[in-house]
Amino acid sequence: MSSLLSHEIGYSAPIEVHNHGFSPYVNNEGTSLGICGEDFVLVASDTRQSNGGYSINARRSPKAFELSNRTVIATTGCAADAKQLVEDMEQRAQYYVHKHGREMSTPAMAQVLSQLLYTRRFFPYYVFPIFAGLDAKGKGAVYNYDAIGNIECVSHYAYGSAAALLQPFLDNQINKAHQRGADTTAKPSRAQAVKLAIDAFTSATERDIYTGDWLEIFIVDSEGVHKLTRELKHD
Amino acid sequence: MDRYSFSLTTFSPNGKLLQIEHALAAVGNGSTSVGIKAANGVVVATEKKTGSSLIDVSSLEHMAMICDSIGMVYSGMGPDFRVLVNRARKAAQTYRRTYMEDPPVRILVKELAGVMQEFTQSGGVRPFGVSLLLAGVDDRGPNLYQVDPSGSYFPWKATAIGKNMVNSKTFLEKRFNGDMELEDAVYTAILTLKEGFEGQMTEQSIDVGIISTIPAVEGEDTLKQSKFQRLTQAEIKDYLSNIA
Repeated sequence: MSSLLSHEIGYSAPIEVHNHGFSPYVNNEGTSLGICGEDFVLVASDTRQSNGGYSINARRSPKAFELSNRTVIATTGCAADAKQLVEDMEQRAQYYVHKHGREMSTPAMAQVLSQLLYTRRFFPYYVFPIFAGLDAKGKGAVYNYDAIGNIECVSHYAYGSAAALLQPFLDNQINKAHQRGADTTAKPSRAQAVKLAIDAFTSATERDIYTGDWLEIFIVDSEGVHKLTRELKHD
Repeated sequence: MDRYSFSLTTFSPNGKLLQIEHALAAVGNGSTSVGIKAANGVVVATEKKTGSSLIDVSSLEHMAMICDSIGMVYSGMGPDFRVLVNRARKAAQTYRRTYMEDPPVRILVKELAGVMQEFTQSGGVRPFGVSLLLAGVDDRGPNLYQVDPSGSYFPWKATAIGKNMVNSKTFLEKRFNGDMELEDAVYTAILTLKEGFEGQMTEQSIDVGIISTIPAVEGEDTLKQSKFQRLTQAEIKDYLSNIA
């Protein structure tokens, strides 16, 4: 009896494929940046939350948070994942305080954040955090991460929908990139850093539809965490 | 099904855990170890008594570095000590992996004590037959901790464990003062061991380990401390010649 197996007779009935198209990830856009000074650090995020299209979920949804009196974190990506990650970090910080009787140092917290992200290597947090704080000697440090925890200590960084607009601007203004003969050793002063952040965001707001509404700036110095709020264009 | 899913360490009617008592007896049969916390560091020392002159003493490891800032010594059963050294080293590196820092001594002590307690309450295992002395420097300065087979731990200014602990502790009570520098503490530790030593004490028959705090220097990292290190035989010989 000859074979009637479909692969041998060269024909198979069309299989119906149901593409449900459910993605667990959503990008709520928005932009964050971090700048490192000699004895202070600054992180700034806009507060607009979008849904990846042309709608706005919220005009005033903070993306940057204070983790301790010496450290702050700014997030971009999926707002739900960012919320969970920040709460995770806060819990870990509390656990450390209970166990050790003192706060976690900034480099320790930076490493913990990296670990938290890598623990989810095979179902990542869709978050790109910027973590910043003062070390034990009062020197500033800014760390940027990818979604699975690669950690890098930098002088400045920008993430989010307007990152491509801000990063080269900060490279030029802070590291004096492409400025021949400029003094590349000087770190920005506090006033300079705040002005840079505000100027960067007002410019980004003009060109990026996902950036705008309000800007929250967190500055950490020897006295603690200070928050500044600036309004951005709502269009 | 599981023949040994029950703990072998069970309460006696008068509320004691006899297995732990027996473990402490095993500790009491072991070579004496002493530890002294000085103002600027910690010293631990132990007897390396061998039954035969044929043993290669230089390869005996009675003292172990757990991480850069913490060292450990014991009295009791050597094999049990080795297991705990490995656990402690793993725990210290796990901590480093998470926090990029060496663990504070009290944190490592709690971890190790937790392991030792597990073995008094798990199925089919017996308690460890060692008491440990952990010496280290952390954010709170110099630390000296004793951990017992039960999992109890004690912070000490100066202490002794093992065969000659009672006499040694009496000796230390007289000799110890809180302002001692590390140098003096090393001498005192060696003298304490000498008190109960049978026969001639040479640089081959004791192990001494030290770790010191480094005072903060202007412009440098304030959290620095030296590494835990064993004294070389030459250094011990120097100390001994100054005592004799």
